[in-house]
Amino acid sequence: MKAKQLIEENNQKRELLTPENKQYYSDMLVYIRLNLSLSEQQSEEVLMEMLDHLLEGQKDGKSARDIFGDDPKRFADDIIQNLPKGKKRDVFPFLCGIVLHLMSWMFIIRGIAILVTSHFRDVETTVYPLTSLIIFVVILAAVFFDVWFIFRIIQQSLFNENANKKKDMMKFIIMALLSMGIIVGISLFTPKFGPTFHFTWLASLLTGGSLLVIVYIMRKSNVGFK
Amino acid sequence: MSLRSQLLKGILDGCVLAVIEKEPVYGYELSKKLQEVGLSDVSEGTIYPILLRLQKNGLIKGKMQSSDYGPNRKYYYLTEQGKESLDTIALEWKQIVNPVNSLFKERNIP
Repeated sequence: MKAKQLIEENNQKRELLTPENKQYYSDMLVYIRLNLSLSEQQSEEVLMEMLDHLLEGQKDGKSARDIFGDDPKRFADDIIQNLPKGKKRDVFPFLCGIVLHLMSWMFIIRGIAILVTSHFRDVETTVYPLTSLIIFVVILAAVFFDVWFIFRIIQQSLFNENANKKKDMMKFIIMALLSMGIIVGISLFTPKFGPTFHFTWLASLLTGGSLLVIVYIMRKSNVGFK
Repeated sequence: MSLRSQLLKGILDGCVLAVIEKEPVYGYELSKKLQEVGLSDVSEGTIYPILLRLQKNGLIKGKMQSSDYGPNRKYYYLTEQGKESLDTIALEWKQIVNPVNSLFKERNIP
């Protein structure tokens, strides 16, 4: 059974847990899944075994605490330590997929934005590739930082009974506003320099569209794109 | 950690291998069998890190299989390497347990 199916099955079976057991198990699940360097298949298999075990134990009136101990974090660490690492190449296509996806949507949004605004006023379609590259790198860095930051917030909220959801939400909003501010600031103030070319809304839309198709095909052909 | 669980920790790999050698089992079954033979202070969850480690070292192999009732289960089988390892563990255990038993023989343990 593929990891994807296991995840699907896990989602359904988890609903059968009592609220208390579900909380305990879900924290462990997220904590283990956050370790992207581990083999996904093996991780999902052991998570499914533990869930099946917990469900059977639940029938006998046992709690997750009875089965996995009073220290879920230590137990999960023990599992993580013994799980095999995933293949390194899995991470690279994954990152490429994110970058390509981001690029295609930016082209598409740019195309639509120019098309719409050109109805009301003249729009400059000249592109400065070097300037755009700088802005793109900044956006990419912001996205990766944000993802990392969200991972950290989640990790800290696990196994923590008095985790503060409101505070986490505030942190998240501040982070989002901050990165948005940085991106807008950089795109406004980066000087326009280097070679230029015209890039019409149609060309932009087509480039973005074909990139999206490429990402889609690569994902279908199972090279590890997510 | 109690003395008993410390003693147990060292030999638990061998116990797990021995259960799997008799017949392939899945996780829940394995913990049940360990408890049935009297190793009741093994907390049930501890078998999972052990199963992962034994798999990683090639001593056992897990295979997803449908069971007569209920969902697919991951059954564990002993590999050739696992059999050899179990032979070694059993031999070493014997070499410890006999001298220790003779040392403790005089005592009246209820």
